[in-house]
Amino acid sequence: MNSFSGVPEPLTRLINELSKLPGIGPKSAQRLAFHLLRSSEETTKALVIAVEDMKKQVDLCSICFHITDKDPCQLCQDEERDESVLCVVEQALDVIVLERTGQYRGRYHVLQGVLNPMEGIGPEDLRISELLQRVQSGNIGEVIMATNPSLEGESTAMYVQRLLTPHGVRITRLARGLPSGADLEYTDEITLAHAFEGRQTF
Amino acid sequence: MTSRERTYRIEGIIIRRRNIGEADSIFTIFSNTQGKIDAVARSIRKPRSKMRGHLETMVQSSLFVARGRSLDILTQAQTIDSYQEIRGNLEKSAAALYCFELVDLFVEKGEPLPELYRGLKQFLEVLKATSSPLSVRYFELYLLNLLGYEVRVFECVVCDSRLPEQTALLVPEAGGLVCGNCRLNTGPGRLIPVPIIKLFRFAARVSLENYVTIRVTEENLNLLRLATIDLIRYHLEREPKSQYFLENLPPPPQKP
Repeated sequence: MNSFSGVPEPLTRLINELSKLPGIGPKSAQRLAFHLLRSSEETTKALVIAVEDMKKQVDLCSICFHITDKDPCQLCQDEERDESVLCVVEQALDVIVLERTGQYRGRYHVLQGVLNPMEGIGPEDLRISELLQRVQSGNIGEVIMATNPSLEGESTAMYVQRLLTPHGVRITRLARGLPSGADLEYTDEITLAHAFEGRQTF
Repeated sequence: MTSRERTYRIEGIIIRRRNIGEADSIFTIFSNTQGKIDAVARSIRKPRSKMRGHLETMVQSSLFVARGRSLDILTQAQTIDSYQEIRGNLEKSAAALYCFELVDLFVEKGEPLPELYRGLKQFLEVLKATSSPLSVRYFELYLLNLLGYEVRVFECVVCDSRLPEQTALLVPEAGGLVCGNCRLNTGPGRLIPVPIIKLFRFAARVSLENYVTIRVTEENLNLLRLATIDLIRYHLEREPKSQYFLENLPPPPQKP
């Protein structure tokens, strides 16, 4: 544990804990800790309670593995959603982003990561067997692979495709191409090739 | 390049990527002139990043790098080859990642190894065109040989006599094959039948392009795999993490 001379031990402990958070370096941790020190007791208590409640109440949905405070989650309980379409994503944040578009009205399955052989993350570390069970037991007609278009995301999509193909389900992949506001000059060949492949009548 | 230069240009293959912070990534690059380096790309995960598509695992890029205090910083990147033929195939992707991990584990940072760089490029070129598992076996032996862990397969490593046309013992600790007479004087090993000895010898004599055209039975492929894995495991003192993935892929779907 780092110790800071002249800083009381409880504050040092808070700085150390904060600096473990992603994107928070020692300087930012120090700033946040001193901000909390100056804040009213009400504010700090609210933060403590929010963190505690989050840890106690938020868990993974037993069906789709999205984060939820009710099991099954709101998205799995929504009868208006199309049960025959399943969108497979890497993480809960992806569900939130996709929901923001308002374009998709099917169900989700969160893999809780991607295959990353070099880091030792294999299929048994992800929710792939649960996805297979859902496809085997449900009336799913289409599985949309919405993993990132990175090497790991692509490998995961290909791996899942191999497992699902024998079950006769239609497997699709999110379209790839130029993002809004992109500059052709700086676009890489992979994206350009996909943009050409996926071009549409104007 | 002098140490005073603040920037440098390299050609390299990205062998590993780790995301850090909000939108940054650290890339491990195996380059032609600088060997293995780690460099950070700031805001690379943002959609507007101009380097985004040019910096990805298994992309060969021309890179402009600025020296940083702890980590060098990638400032420009231009794709040379994105190896589309490999990334669209699960077996080939897994094979490439396994060899990247080997390079990452065996090579020290900042040690220029231009010959190994050419070898890795050649491996990826061959992998584009073929699915032969022999390509991985060749690369393993090529890498060991180049880094000073040559596997002696023509003479007995104990008595130096020419190995007869019969089963020999592969003893990683001794650095190669041991003849029948010397077997009792060595450490543990694996018995290697003549066809596998020949595959070892071919790997030392022919190019990768020719090696992958050799017709090998499934049984012999498996024996060769076990033998090379013994060697890798001995030198690394563990198994590469990606090896399990490469060896346990589900079979490709049958075409109707």
